[in-house]
Amino acid sequence: MTPGKRVAVTSPQTRLARSRRRARGHGELLRGDPLEAEHAAGLYRAQRRRAVLALVLLFTLLFGLTAVFAVFPALDEIRLLGIPLSWLALGVLPYPAMVLLSGWHLRRAEHVEEQ
Amino acid sequence: MVAVLAVAPVVLMTLLIGLRGVAAMRTTSDFLVASRRISPLLNSAAVSGEYLSAASFLGVAGLMVKSGVGALWYPVGYTAGYVAMLVLVAAPMRRSGALTVPDFAEARLASPALRRLAAVVVLTIGGLYLVPQFRTAGLVLSMVGHTPYWVGVVIAGVTVSTTLALGGMRAATYVQAFQFCLKLVLFLVPAVWLLLQAGAATRHDAVHPVEFTHFTHDTPVVFRTDVTLQIHTDTTVRTPHGDTIVLQAGTQRIAAGRTLIFPAGTPAPETRGGTAPDDPDWQRPLLDLHGTGHPVLSTWGVLMATMLGTMGLPHVLVRFHTSPHGRAARQTAALTVGLLSVFYLLPGIYGALGRVLMPHLYLSGATDTVVVALPAQVDSGWVGTLFTVLLTAGAFAAFLATSLGLLLVVSGAISHDLAPGGLVRLRSTVIAAAAAVVLLALPAAGVDAGILVTWAFTVAAATFCPLLVFGIWWSRLTVAGAISGVLVGLLGSAGTIAVALFGPPLAGWPALLVAQPALWAVPLAFTTMAVVSLIGQPPPRSAAAMLRLHLDPSRSPHDRRPASRH
Repeated sequence: MTPGKRVAVTSPQTRLARSRRRARGHGELLRGDPLEAEHAAGLYRAQRRRAVLALVLLFTLLFGLTAVFAVFPALDEIRLLGIPLSWLALGVLPYPAMVLLSGWHLRRAEHVEEQ
Repeated sequence: MVAVLAVAPVVLMTLLIGLRGVAAMRTTSDFLVASRRISPLLNSAAVSGEYLSAASFLGVAGLMVKSGVGALWYPVGYTAGYVAMLVLVAAPMRRSGALTVPDFAEARLASPALRRLAAVVVLTIGGLYLVPQFRTAGLVLSMVGHTPYWVGVVIAGVTVSTTLALGGMRAATYVQAFQFCLKLVLFLVPAVWLLLQAGAATRHDAVHPVEFTHFTHDTPVVFRTDVTLQIHTDTTVRTPHGDTIVLQAGTQRIAAGRTLIFPAGTPAPETRGGTAPDDPDWQRPLLDLHGTGHPVLSTWGVLMATMLGTMGLPHVLVRFHTSPHGRAARQTAALTVGLLSVFYLLPGIYGALGRVLMPHLYLSGATDTVVVALPAQVDSGWVGTLFTVLLTAGAFAAFLATSLGLLLVVSGAISHDLAPGGLVRLRSTVIAAAAAVVLLALPAAGVDAGILVTWAFTVAAATFCPLLVFGIWWSRLTVAGAISGVLVGLLGSAGTIAVALFGPPLAGWPALLVAQPALWAVPLAFTTMAVVSLIGQPPPRSAAAMLRLHLDPSRSPHDRRPASRH
């Protein structure tokens, strides 16, 4: 027996799987199932409604706060424990507000999927 | 000695944890997304660890010393980005089954051209973000350990690339999660100590800022970068050797590396290009970038760049792909908001104390170093040294964790998206990319970490943010729309950065639009993408591809495939 080049022996299934992996990303999402479409569209609309509300709240908090600072410069003078109120409103307030908003939205988004 | 004590444990720990990831790594998926097996809590710690970069650990406090309380809008925007991510991106992005952002772009719209363009954007963002990490590593080490600037840069490059080349995403995950805990402790404990140690008078001054017009005590200023000073009256200063120099009124160029001692009572000079912290607006909670006189607009620009930019940061997005399924990705985003919120309560303390104790820092061109410089200012004994060591270690952890994630996506963009190769090619790309970033960081000592990182956010906000928002929520998006929107955003934001770096100094409106390009580049990219899409026809089955992103596979009535398919 002559020593030849070693060749990998694979089943056709493996070759298929390999070529599929190489084509990864090429429109995998585009192979949809029409039966699913209605269910998915309902989910999508429910999630979109909740997303819009959460974003409106987030933007109101952030852009509203800048407006408050601009309109009421007196907030720099009022002090709580010696610290200007406007510093606290910027350095502390947004964080608990955003944590609460995230938790609230997470619950609602998961609730939609559980139904 | 101090530097060795601070940096060596962090570097060694990073490498050791990195070695844990070596086992069981066979495929590109293992390397890029840790086989998608990371739990939400570990993942959110890793996201936070990766996200708290030099810009957060040092940059925010430095910016606050330099431009005022309004700098605290940056961390607010950084955190808000994760709320937006949770709401709009996390779960659908994970369900796309992609490994990288370019993968996602191609999966959604089936366009290889879009994939390549997205990879170029990843490289741009990665470069803008990585250079300041390495640069600040060099700067901090040179300040604490008196080493040349390049030493810290090279140490950062070698540590990060070794860990990553060996352990890939799994190693990066453990390292980043560990480093989040490390950073939180190393930021929190010194902050409390500084507050107690600083004394009642300093604490009072910190919340009652006065204009910085004169040096209150003999102050040595170490110029770490070339600085042009504007001096109003002739000023006599001393050198460390005892010579006296008279700085004449007018502009004076001071070379990097010099030390000048300003005697008590000397009027404080201004720096050209920067604003001195003597502005009465310092204590206003709005950001007036470059004194353009539009603080609300400036602040909105910063918010847009940081919040929408976070949604498009490729190294953050890839972390969501390590979740086992869409729900875990969403939980990761929500937990991250909490973890970041705890951390971001702290930079304000450093900024306020730094403003009282070292207002002159803006002269040396290195306000970024205020956090590590504070302990020595408060206590000149061994306790102060100990806290300097702790903060330097924390800062190094910040550079390493962020650089790990960035280097991973940069290598992924080159060896997975642009020129697909296997695991071996990915690993060697990591080394090559790290070497390239080290070379880029060497001449970048003088550029503020905060500014470069904000530019990276701006590019992300003007390119990937519209691509993801429309890709996930709008079925009419077309390939032409996506490509033109991303191109307009990329050229707009990158062009502005070039103007800011190399162009003439500007004033008024143009200065504001150049300082904060997110204000116009992001709406422009969104509009372009929408208008061009409306003109054309979306690819066939595009609506189905979008809807599928919102379908939880484990609960779908028709689709019972396992959540993880790679």
